[in-house]
Amino acid sequence: MTEAAQLTEDALNAAAARGDAAFADADNVDDMYLTFALADEEYGVGIGVVTEIVGMQRIMSVPDMPHYVKGVINLRGKVIPLMDARLRFGMEERPYDDRTVVIVMDVADALIGLIVDGVSEVLEIPPSQVDAHGQFGKGGRSVISGIGKIGERVSILLDVQVLVSDSDISLPADML
Amino acid sequence: MSAQPETSTDTGLVRVSSEKISRLMDLVGELSLSVSETVHSPDLQGLDLASFDAAVHRLTMIVREVQDVATELRLVPMDDVFKRLRRMVRELERQTKKKIDLVIEGGDTAIDKLVADKLYDPLLHVLRNAADHGLEGTEERIAAGKGERGQIRLAASQVGSEVRIIVEDDGRGLARDKILAIARKRGFFGPEEEPEPSVLWRVIFEPGFSTAEVVSNLSGRGVGMDVLNATMVALRGRIAVDSTAGNGTRVSLFIPVSLAFLDCIILRLGATLFAVPIDVVSEIARPDREELMHVSADQNRELLKLRGTMIPIVRLDEFFNEATHGEGRKPVPPILVVFNTATGPIAIPVDEVLDRQQVVMKPLVGKLASVRASWGCALLGTGEVALVLDCERLAAGAAK
Repeated sequence: MTEAAQLTEDALNAAAARGDAAFADADNVDDMYLTFALADEEYGVGIGVVTEIVGMQRIMSVPDMPHYVKGVINLRGKVIPLMDARLRFGMEERPYDDRTVVIVMDVADALIGLIVDGVSEVLEIPPSQVDAHGQFGKGGRSVISGIGKIGERVSILLDVQVLVSDSDISLPADML
Repeated sequence: MSAQPETSTDTGLVRVSSEKISRLMDLVGELSLSVSETVHSPDLQGLDLASFDAAVHRLTMIVREVQDVATELRLVPMDDVFKRLRRMVRELERQTKKKIDLVIEGGDTAIDKLVADKLYDPLLHVLRNAADHGLEGTEERIAAGKGERGQIRLAASQVGSEVRIIVEDDGRGLARDKILAIARKRGFFGPEEEPEPSVLWRVIFEPGFSTAEVVSNLSGRGVGMDVLNATMVALRGRIAVDSTAGNGTRVSLFIPVSLAFLDCIILRLGATLFAVPIDVVSEIARPDREELMHVSADQNRELLKLRGTMIPIVRLDEFFNEATHGEGRKPVPPILVVFNTATGPIAIPVDEVLDRQQVVMKPLVGKLASVRASWGCALLGTGEVALVLDCERLAAGAAK
Protein backbone atom coordinates (compact mmCIF):
# COMPACT_ATOMS: atom_id res chain seq x y z
CA MET A 1 0.00 0.00 0.00
CA THR A 2 1.37 3.39 -0.91
CA GLU A 3 1.77 6.11 1.61
CA ALA A 4 -1.04 8.09 0.04
CA ALA A 5 -3.42 5.17 0.17
CA GLN A 6 -2.53 4.58 3.80
CA LEU A 7 -3.22 8.22 4.63
CA THR A 8 -6.49 7.91 2.83
CA GLU A 9 -7.42 4.78 4.69
CA ASP A 10 -6.75 6.60 7.94
CA ALA A 11 -8.82 9.57 6.81
CA LEU A 12 -11.71 7.31 5.89
CA ASN A 13 -11.49 5.32 9.09
CA ALA A 14 -11.51 8.51 11.07
CA ALA A 15 -14.44 9.63 8.97
CA ALA A 16 -16.26 6.39 9.61
CA ALA A 17 -15.78 6.86 13.35
CA ARG A 18 -17.01 10.40 13.07
CA GLY A 19 -19.79 9.21 10.80
CA ASP A 20 -21.06 6.90 13.53
CA ALA A 21 -21.08 9.79 15.93
CA ALA A 22 -22.89 11.83 13.30
CA PHE A 23 -25.52 9.16 12.96
CA ALA A 24 -26.09 9.31 16.68
CA ASP A 25 -26.81 12.99 16.19
CA ALA A 26 -29.34 12.02 13.50
CA ASP A 27 -27.35 13.82 10.87
CA ASN A 28 -26.90 12.19 7.53
CA VAL A 29 -24.30 11.40 4.91
CA ASP A 30 -25.54 14.21 2.65
CA ASP A 31 -23.65 16.70 4.77
CA MET A 32 -20.37 14.77 4.63
CA TYR A 33 -17.74 15.83 2.13
CA LEU A 34 -14.42 14.33 1.15
CA THR A 35 -12.02 17.20 0.75
CA PHE A 36 -8.93 17.15 -1.43
CA ALA A 37 -6.18 19.47 -2.53
CA LEU A 38 -5.44 20.89 -5.95
CA ALA A 39 -2.42 23.21 -5.81
CA ASP A 40 -3.25 25.46 -2.84
CA GLU A 41 -7.01 25.17 -3.25
CA GLU A 42 -9.27 22.84 -1.33
CA TYR A 43 -12.19 21.11 -2.98
CA GLY A 44 -14.87 18.76 -1.74
CA VAL A 45 -17.21 16.13 -3.14
CA GLY A 46 -20.18 14.57 -1.39
CA ILE A 47 -19.06 11.39 0.36
CA GLY A 48 -22.15 9.60 -0.97
CA VAL A 49 -20.73 9.27 -4.50
CA VAL A 50 -17.28 8.14 -3.38
CA THR A 51 -16.86 4.36 -3.58
CA GLU A 52 -13.18 4.14 -2.73
CA ILE A 53 -9.85 5.90 -2.82
CA VAL A 54 -6.85 4.22 -4.39
CA GLY A 55 -3.23 5.14 -4.96
CA MET A 56 -2.11 5.98 -8.46
CA GLN A 57 -2.33 2.98 -10.77
CA ARG A 58 -0.91 2.18 -14.13
CA ILE A 59 -2.92 4.24 -16.62
CA MET A 60 -3.67 2.78 -20.04
CA SER A 61 -4.45 5.27 -22.76
CA VAL A 62 -7.77 5.24 -24.57
CA PRO A 63 -8.41 7.22 -27.75
CA ASP A 64 -11.33 9.54 -28.48
CA MET A 65 -11.44 11.10 -25.01
CA PRO A 66 -11.23 14.72 -23.93
CA HIS A 67 -7.66 15.79 -23.01
CA TYR A 68 -8.45 15.75 -19.29
CA VAL A 69 -9.30 12.05 -19.37
CA LYS A 70 -5.89 10.44 -19.02
CA GLY A 71 -6.98 6.91 -19.81
CA VAL A 72 -8.35 3.95 -17.90
CA ILE A 73 -7.24 1.75 -15.04
CA ASN A 74 -8.15 -1.84 -14.38
CA LEU A 75 -9.32 -1.89 -10.79
CA ARG A 76 -9.97 -5.51 -9.83
CA GLY A 77 -11.52 -6.27 -13.19
CA LYS A 78 -13.42 -3.00 -13.51
CA VAL A 79 -12.36 -0.61 -16.26
CA ILE A 80 -12.49 2.91 -14.86
CA PRO A 81 -11.74 6.12 -16.78
CA LEU A 82 -9.52 8.61 -14.95
CA MET A 83 -10.10 12.33 -15.09
CA ASP A 84 -7.25 14.62 -14.11
CA ALA A 85 -8.88 17.29 -11.92
CA ARG A 86 -6.12 19.83 -12.66
CA LEU A 87 -6.62 19.48 -16.41
CA ARG A 88 -10.39 19.49 -16.03
CA PHE A 89 -10.17 22.89 -14.32
CA GLY A 90 -7.63 24.27 -16.75
CA MET A 91 -4.88 24.26 -14.12
CA GLU A 92 -1.24 23.51 -14.75
CA GLU A 93 -0.41 19.81 -15.14
CA ARG A 94 1.89 18.32 -12.56
CA PRO A 95 3.72 14.99 -12.45
CA TYR A 96 2.06 12.44 -10.20
CA ASP A 97 3.85 11.68 -6.92
CA ASP A 98 3.29 9.38 -3.97
CA ARG A 99 0.62 11.67 -2.53
CA THR A 100 -1.39 11.66 -5.75
CA VAL A 101 -4.56 9.63 -5.32
CA VAL A 102 -7.57 8.60 -7.32
CA ILE A 103 -11.01 9.24 -5.88
CA VAL A 104 -13.31 6.63 -7.41
CA MET A 105 -16.86 7.90 -7.69
CA ASP A 106 -20.11 6.34 -8.80
CA VAL A 107 -21.90 8.98 -10.85
CA ALA A 108 -25.08 8.05 -12.71
CA ASP A 109 -24.33 4.32 -12.32
CA ALA A 110 -20.89 4.57 -13.90
CA LEU A 111 -17.55 4.62 -12.13
CA ILE A 112 -15.10 7.40 -12.77
CA GLY A 113 -11.81 8.20 -11.07
CA LEU A 114 -10.71 11.72 -10.21
CA ILE A 115 -6.95 12.29 -10.00
CA VAL A 116 -6.17 14.82 -7.26
CA ASP A 117 -3.00 16.05 -5.55
CA GLY A 118 -4.00 14.38 -2.30
CA VAL A 119 -7.03 13.84 -0.10
CA SER A 120 -7.35 15.85 3.09
CA GLU A 121 -10.16 14.55 5.25
CA VAL A 122 -13.87 13.94 5.52
CA LEU A 123 -15.74 16.94 6.87
CA GLU A 124 -19.27 17.43 7.98
CA ILE A 125 -20.56 20.68 6.53
CA PRO A 126 -24.21 21.38 7.38
CA PRO A 127 -26.25 23.19 4.70
CA SER A 128 -26.27 26.33 6.86
CA GLN A 129 -22.49 26.55 6.43
CA VAL A 130 -22.69 26.23 2.64
CA ASP A 131 -22.84 29.38 0.60
CA ALA A 132 -24.73 28.28 -2.51
CA HIS A 133 -25.65 31.43 -4.36
CA GLY A 134 -25.06 30.98 -8.06
CA GLN A 135 -22.25 33.39 -8.77
CA PHE A 136 -20.13 30.77 -10.50
CA GLY A 137 -20.28 29.54 -14.05
CA LYS A 138 -21.08 31.73 -16.99
CA GLY A 139 -24.60 30.61 -17.85
CA GLY A 140 -25.70 27.01 -17.53
CA ARG A 141 -25.13 24.91 -14.47
CA SER A 142 -21.96 25.52 -12.52
CA VAL A 143 -19.54 22.78 -11.54
CA ILE A 144 -19.49 24.42 -8.12
CA SER A 145 -22.47 23.61 -5.98
CA GLY A 146 -21.40 25.91 -3.18
CA ILE A 147 -18.66 27.12 -0.87
CA GLY A 148 -18.42 25.27 2.42
CA LYS A 149 -17.09 27.12 5.48
CA ILE A 150 -15.72 25.34 8.49
CA GLY A 151 -14.25 27.85 10.91
CA GLU A 152 -11.42 29.52 9.06
CA ARG A 153 -11.32 26.91 6.33
CA VAL A 154 -13.07 27.17 3.00
CA SER A 155 -13.82 24.24 0.76
CA ILE A 156 -15.11 24.51 -2.81
CA LEU A 157 -17.88 21.92 -3.16
CA LEU A 158 -18.26 20.32 -6.57
CA ASP A 159 -21.33 19.19 -8.47
CA VAL A 160 -20.07 15.82 -9.69
CA GLN A 161 -22.78 15.52 -12.35
CA VAL A 162 -21.42 18.64 -14.04
CA LEU A 163 -17.85 17.56 -13.32
CA VAL A 164 -18.17 14.34 -15.31
CA SER A 165 -20.26 15.87 -18.08
CA ASP A 166 -18.66 17.16 -21.27
CA SER A 167 -19.60 20.75 -20.60
CA ASP A 168 -16.92 23.39 -20.58
CA ILE A 169 -16.23 24.42 -17.01
CA SER A 170 -13.33 26.81 -17.26
CA LEU A 171 -13.35 28.66 -13.98
CA PRO A 172 -12.82 32.36 -13.60
CA ALA A 173 -9.16 32.85 -12.72
CA ASP A 174 -9.88 35.27 -9.89
CA MET A 175 -12.37 33.00 -8.24
CA LEU A 176 -11.08 33.15 -4.71
CA MET B 1 -22.68 -40.44 -11.97
CA SER B 2 -23.59 -44.11 -12.36
CA ALA B 3 -24.62 -44.17 -8.72
CA GLN B 4 -27.59 -41.99 -9.68
CA PRO B 5 -30.64 -44.24 -10.15
CA GLU B 6 -32.18 -43.59 -13.56
CA THR B 7 -35.65 -43.45 -12.14
CA SER B 8 -34.80 -40.46 -10.01
CA THR B 9 -37.33 -37.69 -10.37
CA ASP B 10 -34.68 -35.20 -9.41
CA THR B 11 -33.57 -33.66 -12.70
CA GLY B 12 -30.53 -32.14 -11.05
CA LEU B 13 -31.51 -28.63 -12.12
CA VAL B 14 -30.86 -25.68 -9.86
CA ARG B 15 -32.29 -22.25 -10.40
CA VAL B 16 -29.59 -19.61 -10.05
CA SER B 17 -30.09 -15.91 -10.54
CA SER B 18 -28.19 -14.49 -13.51
CA GLU B 19 -26.81 -11.86 -11.14
CA LYS B 20 -24.94 -14.56 -9.21
CA ILE B 21 -23.55 -15.96 -12.43
CA SER B 22 -22.42 -12.51 -13.54
CA ARG B 23 -20.67 -12.12 -10.20
CA LEU B 24 -19.00 -15.49 -10.69
CA MET B 25 -17.90 -14.48 -14.19
CA ASP B 26 -16.41 -11.26 -12.82
CA LEU B 27 -14.57 -13.20 -10.12
CA VAL B 28 -13.23 -15.70 -12.62
CA GLY B 29 -11.98 -12.77 -14.68
CA GLU B 30 -10.29 -11.30 -11.62
CA LEU B 31 -8.88 -14.72 -10.73
CA SER B 32 -7.20 -15.16 -14.07
CA LEU B 33 -5.86 -11.61 -13.93
CA SER B 34 -4.38 -12.08 -10.51
CA VAL B 35 -2.87 -15.46 -11.43
CA SER B 36 -1.23 -13.71 -14.34
CA GLU B 37 -0.01 -10.94 -12.05
CA THR B 38 1.49 -13.46 -9.63
CA VAL B 39 3.19 -15.44 -12.35
CA HIS B 40 4.74 -12.33 -13.86
CA SER B 41 5.79 -10.83 -10.55
CA PRO B 42 9.19 -9.13 -10.74
CA ASP B 43 10.08 -10.74 -7.38
CA LEU B 44 10.47 -14.05 -9.20
CA GLN B 45 13.36 -12.84 -11.32
CA GLY B 46 16.56 -14.78 -10.93
CA LEU B 47 15.00 -17.61 -8.93
CA ASP B 48 15.09 -21.28 -9.88
CA LEU B 49 11.56 -21.83 -11.08
CA ALA B 50 11.56 -25.38 -12.44
CA SER B 51 8.90 -26.78 -10.13
CA PHE B 52 7.17 -23.41 -9.91
CA ASP B 53 6.68 -23.39 -13.67
CA ALA B 54 5.11 -26.83 -13.60
CA ALA B 55 2.71 -25.70 -10.90
CA VAL B 56 1.92 -22.53 -12.85
CA HIS B 57 1.15 -24.61 -15.89
CA ARG B 58 -1.35 -26.70 -13.94
CA LEU B 59 -2.86 -23.61 -12.35
CA THR B 60 -3.28 -21.89 -15.70
CA MET B 61 -4.98 -24.97 -17.15
CA ILE B 62 -7.39 -25.09 -14.25
CA VAL B 63 -8.19 -21.39 -14.47
CA ARG B 64 -8.90 -21.71 -18.17
CA GLU B 65 -11.20 -24.66 -17.52
CA VAL B 66 -13.02 -22.75 -14.78
CA GLN B 67 -13.43 -19.91 -17.25
CA ASP B 68 -14.96 -22.23 -19.85
CA VAL B 69 -17.31 -23.80 -17.32
CA ALA B 70 -18.37 -20.38 -16.03
CA THR B 71 -19.14 -19.26 -19.58
CA GLU B 72 -21.18 -22.39 -20.16
CA LEU B 73 -23.23 -21.66 -17.05
CA ARG B 74 -24.72 -18.71 -18.80
CA LEU B 75 -25.67 -20.63 -21.91
CA VAL B 76 -29.35 -21.45 -22.34
CA PRO B 77 -31.09 -23.32 -25.15
CA MET B 78 -32.72 -21.18 -27.86
CA ASP B 79 -35.93 -23.06 -27.00
CA ASP B 80 -36.45 -20.64 -24.12
CA VAL B 81 -36.96 -17.86 -26.66
CA PHE B 82 -38.69 -20.03 -29.26
CA LYS B 83 -41.37 -21.20 -26.81
CA ARG B 84 -42.38 -17.64 -26.06
CA LEU B 85 -42.45 -16.91 -29.79
CA ARG B 86 -44.66 -19.96 -30.43
CA ARG B 87 -47.27 -18.50 -28.10
CA MET B 88 -47.06 -15.20 -29.96
CA VAL B 89 -47.61 -16.92 -33.30
CA ARG B 90 -50.93 -18.34 -32.04
CA GLU B 91 -51.84 -14.82 -31.08
CA LEU B 92 -50.81 -13.59 -34.54
CA GLU B 93 -52.98 -16.28 -36.14
CA ARG B 94 -55.97 -14.84 -34.34
CA GLN B 95 -55.09 -11.26 -35.24
CA THR B 96 -54.36 -11.84 -38.91
CA LYS B 97 -57.00 -14.56 -39.39
CA LYS B 98 -54.37 -16.53 -41.31
CA LYS B 99 -53.55 -20.17 -40.74
CA ILE B 100 -49.92 -20.46 -39.75
CA ASP B 101 -47.75 -23.52 -39.17
CA LEU B 102 -44.70 -22.67 -37.13
CA VAL B 103 -41.82 -25.09 -37.64
CA ILE B 104 -39.08 -24.86 -35.05
CA GLU B 105 -35.65 -26.38 -35.58
CA GLY B 106 -32.49 -26.38 -33.50
CA GLY B 107 -34.18 -25.39 -30.24
CA ASP B 108 -31.33 -26.99 -28.32
CA THR B 109 -28.75 -24.58 -29.76
CA ALA B 110 -26.96 -22.95 -26.84
CA ILE B 111 -26.68 -19.20 -26.51
CA ASP B 112 -25.64 -16.73 -23.82
CA LYS B 113 -28.61 -15.85 -21.60
CA LEU B 114 -27.83 -12.15 -21.99
CA VAL B 115 -28.02 -12.51 -25.76
CA ALA B 116 -31.13 -14.69 -25.63
CA ASP B 117 -32.96 -12.08 -23.55
CA LYS B 118 -32.26 -9.43 -26.14
CA LEU B 119 -33.33 -11.64 -29.04
CA TYR B 120 -37.00 -12.00 -28.21
CA ASP B 121 -38.10 -8.54 -29.35
CA PRO B 122 -36.25 -8.45 -32.66
CA LEU B 123 -37.32 -12.00 -33.50
CA LEU B 124 -40.91 -11.18 -32.61
CA HIS B 125 -40.69 -8.21 -34.93
CA VAL B 126 -39.46 -10.33 -37.82
CA LEU B 127 -42.10 -12.98 -37.11
CA ARG B 128 -44.89 -10.42 -36.97
CA ASN B 129 -43.84 -9.01 -40.30
CA ALA B 130 -43.71 -12.48 -41.80
CA ALA B 131 -47.18 -13.32 -40.50
CA ASP B 132 -48.70 -9.95 -41.21
CA HIS B 133 -47.27 -9.05 -44.59
CA GLY B 134 -45.29 -12.01 -45.88
CA LEU B 135 -47.91 -14.71 -45.68
CA GLU B 136 -50.89 -14.28 -47.95
CA GLY B 137 -54.49 -14.80 -46.92
CA THR B 138 -56.04 -18.23 -47.49
CA GLU B 139 -57.71 -17.34 -50.79
CA GLU B 140 -54.64 -15.69 -52.22
CA ARG B 141 -52.57 -18.73 -51.29
CA ILE B 142 -54.96 -21.13 -52.98
CA ALA B 143 -55.06 -18.92 -56.08
CA ALA B 144 -51.25 -19.00 -56.15
CA GLY B 145 -51.31 -22.78 -56.02
CA LYS B 146 -49.92 -22.97 -52.47
CA GLY B 147 -51.20 -24.90 -49.51
CA GLU B 148 -53.92 -23.27 -47.46
CA ARG B 149 -51.74 -22.96 -44.39
CA GLY B 150 -48.82 -20.56 -44.42
CA GLN B 151 -45.55 -21.80 -43.03
CA ILE B 152 -42.97 -19.98 -40.95
CA ARG B 153 -39.72 -21.75 -40.18
CA LEU B 154 -37.76 -20.68 -37.14
CA ALA B 155 -34.38 -22.40 -37.10
CA ALA B 156 -31.27 -22.00 -34.98
CA SER B 157 -27.89 -23.61 -35.48
CA GLN B 158 -24.36 -23.02 -34.37
CA VAL B 159 -21.87 -22.06 -37.07
CA GLY B 160 -18.40 -21.66 -35.62
CA SER B 161 -18.58 -19.19 -32.75
CA GLU B 162 -21.83 -17.76 -34.09
CA VAL B 163 -25.44 -18.79 -33.79
CA ARG B 164 -27.45 -18.47 -36.95
CA ILE B 165 -31.18 -17.90 -36.57
CA ILE B 166 -33.38 -18.11 -39.63
CA VAL B 167 -36.93 -16.84 -39.92
CA GLU B 168 -38.33 -18.05 -43.21
CA ASP B 169 -41.85 -17.78 -44.60
CA ASP B 170 -43.37 -19.16 -47.78
CA GLY B 171 -45.37 -16.04 -48.52
CA ARG B 172 -45.34 -13.54 -51.35
CA GLY B 173 -41.79 -12.28 -50.92
CA LEU B 174 -40.43 -8.75 -50.93
CA ALA B 175 -41.79 -6.31 -53.49
CA ARG B 176 -38.59 -5.47 -55.35
CA ASP B 177 -40.11 -2.71 -57.49
CA LYS B 178 -41.58 -0.82 -54.59
CA ILE B 179 -38.50 -1.09 -52.42
CA LEU B 180 -36.22 -0.09 -55.29
CA ALA B 181 -38.44 2.91 -56.11
CA ILE B 182 -38.25 4.19 -52.54
CA ALA B 183 -34.53 3.43 -52.27
CA ARG B 184 -33.92 5.48 -55.43
CA LYS B 185 -36.06 8.30 -54.16
CA ARG B 186 -34.00 8.31 -50.96
CA GLY B 187 -30.78 8.42 -52.94
CA PHE B 188 -29.49 4.99 -51.96
CA PHE B 189 -29.19 4.09 -55.65
CA GLY B 190 -29.02 6.04 -58.89
CA PRO B 191 -32.12 6.05 -61.15
CA GLU B 192 -30.51 3.60 -63.58
CA GLU B 193 -28.81 1.43 -61.00
CA GLU B 194 -30.06 -2.15 -60.68
CA PRO B 195 -28.59 -3.38 -57.38
CA GLU B 196 -28.05 -7.01 -56.56
CA PRO B 197 -30.96 -8.37 -54.49
CA SER B 198 -28.79 -8.87 -51.38
CA VAL B 199 -27.60 -5.25 -51.65
CA LEU B 200 -31.11 -3.93 -52.25
CA TRP B 201 -32.65 -5.77 -49.30
CA ARG B 202 -30.07 -4.26 -47.02
CA VAL B 203 -31.55 -0.77 -47.45
CA ILE B 204 -34.67 -1.74 -45.54
CA PHE B 205 -32.49 -1.69 -42.40
CA GLU B 206 -31.30 1.84 -43.05
CA PRO B 207 -32.59 4.31 -40.50
CA GLY B 208 -34.92 6.70 -42.21
CA PHE B 209 -36.05 4.14 -44.73
CA SER B 210 -39.69 4.63 -43.89
CA THR B 211 -41.17 1.21 -43.49
CA ALA B 212 -44.68 2.56 -43.73
CA GLU B 213 -44.20 3.11 -47.44
CA VAL B 214 -43.00 -0.39 -48.15
CA VAL B 215 -45.99 -2.60 -48.76
CA SER B 216 -44.28 -5.90 -48.39
CA ASN B 217 -43.19 -8.63 -46.10
CA LEU B 218 -40.83 -6.51 -44.11
CA SER B 219 -42.87 -3.41 -43.63
CA GLY B 220 -43.46 -2.90 -39.97
CA ARG B 221 -46.06 -1.61 -37.68
CA GLY B 222 -44.78 -0.07 -34.51
CA VAL B 223 -41.12 -0.90 -34.19
CA GLY B 224 -39.20 -0.24 -37.38
CA MET B 225 -36.70 -2.47 -39.08
CA ASP B 226 -33.97 -0.06 -38.07
CA VAL B 227 -34.63 -0.95 -34.43
CA LEU B 228 -33.91 -4.57 -35.29
CA ASN B 229 -30.73 -3.33 -36.88
CA ALA B 230 -29.78 -1.41 -33.74
CA THR B 231 -30.24 -4.54 -31.61
CA MET B 232 -28.04 -6.48 -33.99
CA VAL B 233 -25.31 -3.86 -33.72
CA ALA B 234 -25.49 -4.04 -29.92
CA LEU B 235 -25.17 -7.83 -30.07
CA ARG B 236 -22.33 -7.65 -32.63
CA GLY B 237 -24.55 -9.55 -35.04
CA ARG B 238 -25.29 -9.40 -38.75
CA ILE B 239 -28.53 -9.65 -40.72
CA ALA B 240 -28.98 -11.10 -44.15
CA VAL B 241 -32.21 -11.08 -46.16
CA ASP B 242 -33.05 -13.27 -49.08
CA SER B 243 -36.32 -13.16 -50.96
CA THR B 244 -37.88 -14.54 -54.11
CA ALA B 245 -41.09 -13.03 -55.44
CA GLY B 246 -43.95 -15.43 -54.81
CA ASN B 247 -41.81 -17.86 -52.86
CA GLY B 248 -41.24 -16.14 -49.57
CA THR B 249 -38.60 -14.34 -47.58
CA ARG B 250 -35.75 -15.53 -45.43
CA VAL B 251 -34.23 -13.36 -42.73
CA SER B 252 -31.00 -14.72 -41.21
CA LEU B 253 -29.48 -13.36 -38.04
CA PHE B 254 -25.88 -14.20 -37.16
CA ILE B 255 -25.00 -13.59 -33.52
CA PRO B 256 -21.94 -14.46 -31.41
CA VAL B 257 -22.67 -17.26 -28.91
CA SER B 258 -21.36 -15.22 -26.00
CA LEU B 259 -20.84 -11.54 -25.45
CA ALA B 260 -18.53 -12.10 -22.51
CA PHE B 261 -15.47 -13.54 -24.22
CA LEU B 262 -14.06 -12.68 -27.58
CA ASP B 263 -11.25 -14.24 -29.58
CA CYS B 264 -9.04 -11.30 -30.50
CA ILE B 265 -5.66 -10.31 -31.77
CA ILE B 266 -3.99 -7.55 -29.79
CA LEU B 267 -2.42 -4.59 -31.57
CA ARG B 268 -0.32 -1.74 -30.27
CA LEU B 269 -0.13 1.75 -31.74
CA GLY B 270 2.00 4.13 -29.71
CA ALA B 271 1.04 3.57 -26.09
CA THR B 272 -2.50 2.43 -26.87
CA LEU B 273 -3.61 -1.17 -27.13
CA PHE B 274 -6.37 -2.27 -29.46
CA ALA B 275 -8.09 -5.62 -29.81
CA VAL B 276 -9.75 -6.85 -32.99
CA PRO B 277 -12.03 -9.89 -33.31
CA ILE B 278 -10.01 -12.56 -35.06
CA ASP B 279 -12.64 -13.32 -37.70
CA VAL B 280 -12.44 -9.89 -39.36
CA VAL B 281 -8.65 -10.01 -39.84
CA SER B 282 -7.84 -11.15 -43.34
CA GLU B 283 -4.11 -10.56 -43.44
CA ILE B 284 -1.13 -8.92 -41.77
CA ALA B 285 1.33 -7.21 -44.08
CA ARG B 286 4.71 -5.56 -43.70
CA PRO B 287 4.71 -3.44 -46.87
CA ASP B 288 7.71 -1.89 -48.63
CA ARG B 289 7.76 1.81 -49.31
CA GLU B 290 6.73 1.21 -52.96
CA GLU B 291 3.60 -0.53 -51.83
CA LEU B 292 2.29 2.55 -50.09
CA MET B 293 0.59 5.32 -52.03
CA HIS B 294 -0.30 8.82 -51.00
CA VAL B 295 -3.07 10.71 -52.81
CA SER B 296 -2.88 14.41 -52.04
CA ALA B 297 -5.78 15.14 -54.38
CA ASP B 298 -8.10 13.03 -52.25
CA GLN B 299 -7.72 14.52 -48.76
CA ASN B 300 -4.28 12.97 -48.33
CA ARG B 301 -5.75 9.51 -48.53
CA GLU B 302 -3.21 6.72 -48.22
CA LEU B 303 -3.49 3.38 -49.98
CA LEU B 304 -1.87 0.00 -49.61
CA LYS B 305 -1.08 -1.89 -52.81
CA LEU B 306 -1.67 -5.52 -52.06
CA ARG B 307 -1.44 -8.01 -54.93
CA GLY B 308 -2.92 -5.55 -57.41
CA THR B 309 -5.76 -4.24 -55.24
CA MET B 310 -5.72 -0.85 -53.57
CA ILE B 311 -6.79 -0.90 -49.97
CA PRO B 312 -7.53 2.36 -48.16
CA ILE B 313 -5.39 2.91 -45.06
CA VAL B 314 -7.17 4.12 -41.94
CA ARG B 315 -4.84 5.63 -39.37
CA LEU B 316 -6.32 5.15 -35.93
CA ASP B 317 -4.65 8.25 -34.47
CA GLU B 318 -6.18 10.37 -37.23
CA PHE B 319 -9.56 8.67 -36.98
CA PHE B 320 -9.64 9.50 -33.29
CA ASN B 321 -8.46 13.06 -34.01
CA GLU B 322 -5.20 12.69 -32.16
CA ALA B 323 -2.82 13.45 -35.00
CA THR B 324 -2.54 15.81 -37.92
CA HIS B 325 -3.49 14.94 -41.46
CA GLY B 326 -1.46 15.84 -44.48
CA GLU B 327 1.89 17.58 -44.29
CA GLY B 328 4.19 16.77 -41.43
CA ARG B 329 2.41 13.55 -40.50
CA LYS B 330 4.50 10.67 -39.32
CA PRO B 331 5.41 7.88 -41.74
CA VAL B 332 3.05 4.92 -41.88
CA PRO B 333 3.81 2.53 -38.99
CA PRO B 334 5.57 -0.65 -40.12
CA ILE B 335 2.79 -3.23 -39.87
CA LEU B 336 -0.55 -3.08 -41.66
CA VAL B 337 -3.44 -5.24 -40.55
CA VAL B 338 -6.06 -5.77 -43.24
CA PHE B 339 -9.68 -6.19 -42.17
CA ASN B 340 -12.69 -7.36 -44.12
CA THR B 341 -15.69 -5.10 -43.75
CA ALA B 342 -19.05 -4.80 -45.50
CA THR B 343 -17.73 -1.73 -47.33
CA GLY B 344 -14.59 -3.50 -48.53
CA PRO B 345 -11.19 -4.11 -46.96
CA ILE B 346 -9.36 -1.49 -44.93
CA ALA B 347 -5.76 -1.51 -43.71
CA ILE B 348 -4.83 -0.27 -40.25
CA PRO B 349 -1.22 0.59 -39.49
CA VAL B 350 0.11 -0.48 -36.08
CA ASP B 351 3.50 -0.55 -34.40
CA GLU B 352 3.23 -4.10 -33.16
CA VAL B 353 1.01 -7.17 -33.30
CA LEU B 354 1.19 -8.67 -29.81
CA ASP B 355 -0.69 -11.92 -29.69
CA ARG B 356 -3.99 -13.69 -30.00
CA GLN B 357 -6.06 -14.28 -26.90
CA GLN B 358 -9.49 -14.77 -25.44
CA VAL B 359 -10.38 -11.45 -23.87
CA VAL B 360 -13.02 -10.59 -21.31
CA MET B 361 -15.34 -7.96 -22.75
CA LYS B 362 -16.53 -5.00 -20.71
CA PRO B 363 -19.10 -2.54 -22.03
CA LEU B 364 -18.16 1.11 -22.40
CA VAL B 365 -20.18 2.98 -19.81
CA GLY B 366 -20.24 6.51 -18.47
CA LYS B 367 -17.44 8.70 -19.76
CA LEU B 368 -16.21 5.93 -22.04
CA ALA B 369 -19.54 5.60 -23.87
CA SER B 370 -18.50 8.35 -26.28
CA VAL B 371 -15.59 6.38 -27.77
CA ARG B 372 -16.42 5.84 -31.41
CA ALA B 373 -15.97 2.66 -33.44
CA SER B 374 -15.61 0.37 -30.47
CA TRP B 375 -17.49 -2.64 -29.10
CA GLY B 376 -16.11 -2.21 -25.63
CA CYS B 377 -13.03 -2.72 -23.51
CA ALA B 378 -11.08 -5.93 -23.46
CA LEU B 379 -9.35 -7.06 -20.29
CA LEU B 380 -6.18 -8.86 -21.27
CA GLY B 381 -4.55 -11.66 -19.34
CA THR B 382 -1.81 -9.26 -18.28
CA GLY B 383 -4.34 -6.95 -16.61
CA GLU B 384 -3.99 -4.40 -19.37
CA VAL B 385 -6.98 -2.86 -21.10
CA ALA B 386 -7.41 -2.70 -24.86
CA LEU B 387 -10.12 -1.05 -26.90
CA VAL B 388 -12.02 -3.52 -29.08
CA LEU B 389 -12.35 -2.01 -32.54
CA ASP B 390 -15.54 -2.22 -34.55
CA CYS B 391 -14.05 -2.38 -38.02
CA GLU B 392 -17.39 -1.83 -39.75
CA ARG B 393 -17.79 1.55 -38.13
CA LEU B 394 -14.12 2.36 -38.66
CA ALA B 395 -14.52 1.69 -42.37
CA ALA B 396 -17.81 3.59 -42.57
CA GLY B 397 -16.37 6.55 -40.67
CA ALA B 398 -13.25 6.67 -42.81
CA ALA B 399 -15.27 6.62 -46.03
CA LYS B 400 -16.98 9.88 -45.13
